[in-house]
Amino acid sequence: MEAPQYVAARVQGALAEDDRTHELGIRVDVRGDQLFLRGQVGCLERRALIADVAAEAAPGLTIHNELSVVDVREPEEEEKL
Amino acid sequence: MSLRIAAVGDVHLGVDVGGRYRSHLNGIEEKADVLLLAGDLTRHGTLEEGEVVVNEFRDLPIPVVAVLGNHDHHSDKPAEIAAMLRDAGIMVLHDDSVVVEVNGTRLGVVGGKGFGGGFAGKCASEFGEPEIKAFVNHTKRIADRWRVALKELDADKRVVLSHYSPVNDTLAGEPPEIYPFLGSYLLAEAIDAEGADLILHGHAHMGTEKGLTSAGIRVRNVALPVLGRAYGVYCLNGDEGC
Ligand SMILES: [Fe+2]
Ligand SMILES: [Fe+2]
Repeated sequence: MEAPQYVAARVQGALAEDDRTHELGIRVDVRGDQLFLRGQVGCLERRALIADVAAEAAPGLTIHNELSVVDVREPEEEEKL
Repeated sequence: MSLRIAAVGDVHLGVDVGGRYRSHLNGIEEKADVLLLAGDLTRHGTLEEGEVVVNEFRDLPIPVVAVLGNHDHHSDKPAEIAAMLRDAGIMVLHDDSVVVEVNGTRLGVVGGKGFGGGFAGKCASEFGEPEIKAFVNHTKRIADRWRVALKELDADKRVVLSHYSPVNDTLAGEPPEIYPFLGSYLLAEAIDAEGADLILHGHAHMGTEKGLTSAGIRVRNVALPVLGRAYGVYCLNGDEGC
């Protein structure tokens, strides 16, 4: 069986290099046959897309999509420097 | 006079989200006098995404100055994307400077993409294989060009705009193993030598907003996921009432 670290690294590489995602900041952890995705993305569509690309790169694993979608809040008061 | 600098990086616009960020820029002229964009404006650096960026940031009531990021280089079209932005009136820095007149204050902005290599004591050096030398040399050349641009800059206030980080303070939250890919102390060393009032960067999505150089220059990581708000606003003439 392939070591979980190598599977996680391959998924992380796929997320960075796949034309559909190009996401560099996603944390990927593999525990047994479970794969966990953590980090922040811009919208729901990308959240789903990242899970799709991860699933393709790690067939047979159960994907836990724990990515959160960051809401862009309105700007706050300025910081005085 | 007040000098309010709005800044954001890593908006990572794609063709599917055109117009979504623009709504946050309504009324920006009431909050800030200039907008600085710290790179990674696109996801893959394609011309189609460049067009989305142009439409998102064109014709704002305040001047806009940008640098590109590593994502904007991915499709080998950085010069084309920069030209599209310039055609739309957005100033793009490539290891050089621009002076913008704001409320009677001459604001000088120096910068470019920057690059990696790591931080003092834990960094790559120009030794060994040509690939490592080329990596380190790329950062050194950039730092040298910033040093010259700062030395020659004639302005009342000086801001450095980068994509990669010049310090590790603002990387806190990122895995330490990847720091060498997030920035280089050579950039901070060059800036500290010539002096600046503020340094803005992006790239480290999981980093921290606030940091300092060794010489005490304020550094702000304005990557959108770090800010969590549409843009940060930094007032440089704080004592004179912003
Ligand atoms: Fe980015
Ligand atoms: Fe980046």
